[in-house]
Amino acid sequence: MSHPQQIHNSDILVIVPVYNESSVMVQTLTQLAGAGYQVIVVDDGSDVLVKKTIGHLPVTILRHRVNLGQGAALQTAFNYAKKKNAQVVITFDADGQHQVSDIPALLAPILQQKADIVLGSRFLHEGSAPIGFSKKMVLQIARFVNFLLSGVLLSDAHNGLRALNRQALSKIELTENRMAHASEILFETKRHQLQYCEVPVHISYTEYSKQKGQSAWDSIKILFDLVLHKLFR
Amino acid sequence: MTNIQVLLLTGVLFIGLYYLIRLKRRLLDIIILFVMVAAAVTFILWPDLTTIIAKKLNVGRGADLIFYLSILIFWFVILKLYARIRRLEQQFTAIIRNDALKNAEELDEKSK
Repeated sequence: MSHPQQIHNSDILVIVPVYNESSVMVQTLTQLAGAGYQVIVVDDGSDVLVKKTIGHLPVTILRHRVNLGQGAALQTAFNYAKKKNAQVVITFDADGQHQVSDIPALLAPILQQKADIVLGSRFLHEGSAPIGFSKKMVLQIARFVNFLLSGVLLSDAHNGLRALNRQALSKIELTENRMAHASEILFETKRHQLQYCEVPVHISYTEYSKQKGQSAWDSIKILFDLVLHKLFR
Repeated sequence: MTNIQVLLLTGVLFIGLYYLIRLKRRLLDIIILFVMVAAAVTFILWPDLTTIIAKKLNVGRGADLIFYLSILIFWFVILKLYARIRRLEQQFTAIIRNDALKNAEELDEKSK
């Protein structure tokens, strides 16, 4: 039996892709930095330099000169993390829907060496998530589309909270620049035979996060990107 | 000659001329261009030829055969263009990404 690794929060890179975010981002980043994590913000070509609003925070900022999409932003941060020899990275949304307090639960399977990649799920809790019917239906369909395309059946789809160990970090290479990256992560997980698991996480739906989040129309665009991805591998 | 034939011939000859000027005068390119223009001109001047070919393929009219073939060709062209756009996007992404990482590294160096 292998013993759980010991790890300090400062050895954990938390990646936060941002694009034209409001003050909620500052709160999120302040909490993450306050918890002692190494925070990597990827400013994906925001109209106003993110550096101007969060320059005072102890975070690293990577900036795309033009907007490429969340998938591209994550991969840029992954490359940075690889250069820095990061042991574990967390991906975390800036819109305030994720809880900093969920991070330890996300890390646990990696530290116990039970998984290479841990995916947050809003549906693993007792009871149901506070979520609208149409959103729930879209996510259910997305789950099955992901399953059909990747062979990985999860309880949630497109949850932005994930943890990756070094192995996953070195294997996963995202080429989908926009939102289809969430499914591409599953393709890569399967392709490289990475160990994965899901842990329950809390999602708080605020007016802001709903407005920043994906609409049903966006999911059609994602599906289109996925079909092209499969066609032009 | 009917009006439509004049219109189509003018179009084909202009496009042929345009390509001839733009091409880098490789023999193969010029042969392919010549064959395509010759075929277009032949079918415009003697449209009944297309019907003969169409009948052999169990299609009613020559115009229909050309229509079906055009759909196939356009589909192929669109797919090729999409593949090209995706390749360009990937190159573009790599440039922006390297730029972002380089800038971050320079900042890291400075703060040391």
